[in-house]
Amino acid sequence: MNIVNISRSDLMSVESPGRYVGGEYGAVIKENIIQELETTGKCSAVRAAFCFPDVYEIGMSNLAMQILYKCLNDQDYCYCERVFSPWIDMDKVMREKGYELYSMETKSPIKDFDIVAFTLGYEMCYTNVLQMLDLGNIPFRASDRKETDPIVICGGPCAYNIEPMADFFDAVLLGEGEECIVEVASVVKAYKDAGKKSKHDLLIELAKIPGVYIPAFYEAQYEGNKYVGLKKLEESAPDTILKRIITDLDNVSYPTNPIVPNIRIIHDRAYLELFRGCIRGCRFCQAGFICRPVREKSPETLCRQGIEIERNSGYDELGILSLSSSDYTGLKELTDGLLAAFEGHHSSLSLPSLRIDNFALDLMEKVSQTRKSGLTFAPEAGTQRLRDVINKGICEEDIMKSLRLAFAGGWSTVKLYFMLGLPTETMEDVEGIANLAHKIENLYYEVAREVGFKPRKPEITVSTSMYIPKPFTPFQWEKQCTKEEFLEKQGHLRDLLRKSRNIKYIWHDVESSLWEVILARGDRRLCSVILDGYKKGCFYDAWDDKFKFDVWMETLNEHGLTWEMFAREFDVDEALPWGHIDVGVTTKFLKKEREKAYEETITPPCRTKCSACGAQCFKVGECYASK
Amino acid sequence: MLQNERNLSMVTLKHQTEYVCRCLFERVGDASFVGHLDLMHTFDRAIRRAGLPILYSQGYNPRPMMVFALPLGVGIDTLGDYVDISMSREVDVNELMEKVNPFLPKGVKLYGGINIDEPKNSLMSVVTIAKYRFTAPEIKSKMRNLVTRDELRVTKKSKGKLVETDIRPLFICEVPDNETSEDVFECFVYAGSSKNLRPDVFLNALCEYEGYDREIAANCLVTRLGLYGGEYPELKDIKGLL
Repeated sequence: MNIVNISRSDLMSVESPGRYVGGEYGAVIKENIIQELETTGKCSAVRAAFCFPDVYEIGMSNLAMQILYKCLNDQDYCYCERVFSPWIDMDKVMREKGYELYSMETKSPIKDFDIVAFTLGYEMCYTNVLQMLDLGNIPFRASDRKETDPIVICGGPCAYNIEPMADFFDAVLLGEGEECIVEVASVVKAYKDAGKKSKHDLLIELAKIPGVYIPAFYEAQYEGNKYVGLKKLEESAPDTILKRIITDLDNVSYPTNPIVPNIRIIHDRAYLELFRGCIRGCRFCQAGFICRPVREKSPETLCRQGIEIERNSGYDELGILSLSSSDYTGLKELTDGLLAAFEGHHSSLSLPSLRIDNFALDLMEKVSQTRKSGLTFAPEAGTQRLRDVINKGICEEDIMKSLRLAFAGGWSTVKLYFMLGLPTETMEDVEGIANLAHKIENLYYEVAREVGFKPRKPEITVSTSMYIPKPFTPFQWEKQCTKEEFLEKQGHLRDLLRKSRNIKYIWHDVESSLWEVILARGDRRLCSVILDGYKKGCFYDAWDDKFKFDVWMETLNEHGLTWEMFAREFDVDEALPWGHIDVGVTTKFLKKEREKAYEETITPPCRTKCSACGAQCFKVGECYASK
Repeated sequence: MLQNERNLSMVTLKHQTEYVCRCLFERVGDASFVGHLDLMHTFDRAIRRAGLPILYSQGYNPRPMMVFALPLGVGIDTLGDYVDISMSREVDVNELMEKVNPFLPKGVKLYGGINIDEPKNSLMSVVTIAKYRFTAPEIKSKMRNLVTRDELRVTKKSKGKLVETDIRPLFICEVPDNETSEDVFECFVYAGSSKNLRPDVFLNALCEYEGYDREIAANCLVTRLGLYGGEYPELKDIKGLL
């Protein structure tokens, strides 16, 4: 059994060595398999290296990793271990000293595994995938990997348009992975048992699994500078690949005995997932469309799992997770149940993505044992007109009503999230952001006078990100603002907000958003660009201070490509790089939603009225059940 | 609840009685790369998993009531450290040990200790001496040479400024009658809040004065073997110092 042994001095020479040693409570150690490896140097079980292309502290905060780790390790024939991207200091040490990338559990080099799986949560992590393959001594391109190399697969939100990374993966898993990844592991098990004879035959078998996309079975076609579609190279491969979903969330495997890191991580708490999908249909939000249909877990299941997790993990905080927690129908029952169960335990609940109303404030008061944290609102746009365009079902009156309650209840810190560059946005909409912030500031003093408390200095934070049109949204064809347009909008808003000392303005980097749109809507021509950029030293692009915009633009141009090609408005009838992927929601529906956006007409939430988006094809979910 | 009521509830919190378990613990192997603060969370979570009632501090940011005898640097193993863990009801220290150990991560383990009422002196204030083992190639003779010197001046950072101090007085003696190999050096040094010799500072002096290889020193395994009160050679067991 090969083991990577990082020396004490090398560990001590890097920041947070605890990232690299493993040994956490809850980590799975399969003694029988390790023994087999130690005595014979190999094992009959399928070995999967689950890779998170970012640092340990971020990867360990990811629920998908904990879920799929359990799914795979629940199988006797499989041993799944974790791998993270070494930080820049460790990356350097590993290259200098010739250490290969290794797994946390057994410290095995990742090239000794049968499956190397990546979870792709955000496009900016792509170069870290290449870093991990590089440190693992695994050839980058699937076409360069042989039967003796691991099968490299991926999944996660970015899998819905994997084309910019298509060359690097043997198989791509679309949608929710709990069942799919186990099916993949069992096919790989058969391949391993038969002596790994032909990788091509394995890929044919994998392609038969619903939700599995084999990029090598298709070839991208171009006319001039335009992508025009995929040509199928393998007869048996499907024309379109439908994403997978879990039909019964109450009976799907859930990690109630999660791995608890020994060092502090970004989100240092246990998680409970309420439901999948979102009833809202905000037109800019990719998650809102790719996660359809809405499926809830029952409050009974959640309560039982929440109690188990709190006891098993020892965490003193349980996070409630979903795209919009206030829309969970059993929220009161669940929170009452959990709070009763946690009585006297010194445990708290954290409740992100709550819509602020009386119930929410009351709940926040009950769950917080510490000082009043800030309230967060995401109006996303500054005027009602633009909020109707994006179908953000929230109006100024709602926000003001919520804040009136909150201010009277003692809150004085408010965070407001907006996007700049949304389709149809004008300077008037940008000014609307400043107006709203100023109104909120005035409201605080007004409430203080009415209720009769001595006003503190309210803290109002306005935060803007740059809009990036994403696949599978009604805005997937929209153009992105240019750098100049973004900067003008941002500068104008900054000037307007400068007037008040209670308002703080923070903004997201423009340049990284300009690169992200290319990764989000790009095609296979990007593969070579990303690889070249990586070779020029780009990685950890998700970290603003590590991101090298100029290098990326230069590399893009060297390949005869421009930002404009991917950021322009796409023609509604042109072939999209993700056209062969089916998420249930139809293009017809997305087109209709786009037209409604231009008409400034809103679409009601799924629960109020079904808008026939197409996700009914899965024959589950609230919208289907109610018919 | 309105703001004022809330503030009121914060000041009327009553004092809770503490039931302290003074435990001996070890931290070895990969677990040694976990920082001192993180070790506190590790114990807290393990005790919670065991379903035992650890006591939390009052106020805005409740923390588990836990006091370590002497901070433990990252990368240093220990076989004999102490921690005072406060519980909200009386818990037998042996019960604590038996119940909590299965829930601790690999490399961290509690040993028995004693139950005490609220200690009059904090655990940190009673520690005066530590016993260390340094394991590295040919380290014994080099260390022996080093400590024959009258003075060991090293520069260290204190409050952002570089200051020169003599660490020789912080070294007490080599562990007597010790039949260890050439690669092992065991010694007593001053430790605690008033006088403290950090093992990394000591190793650094070894490189500086004896020309010991820095790369080898960086790979030296440092193990804290024990903590004591009193004055050498009259060592006092920490358990007895309340």
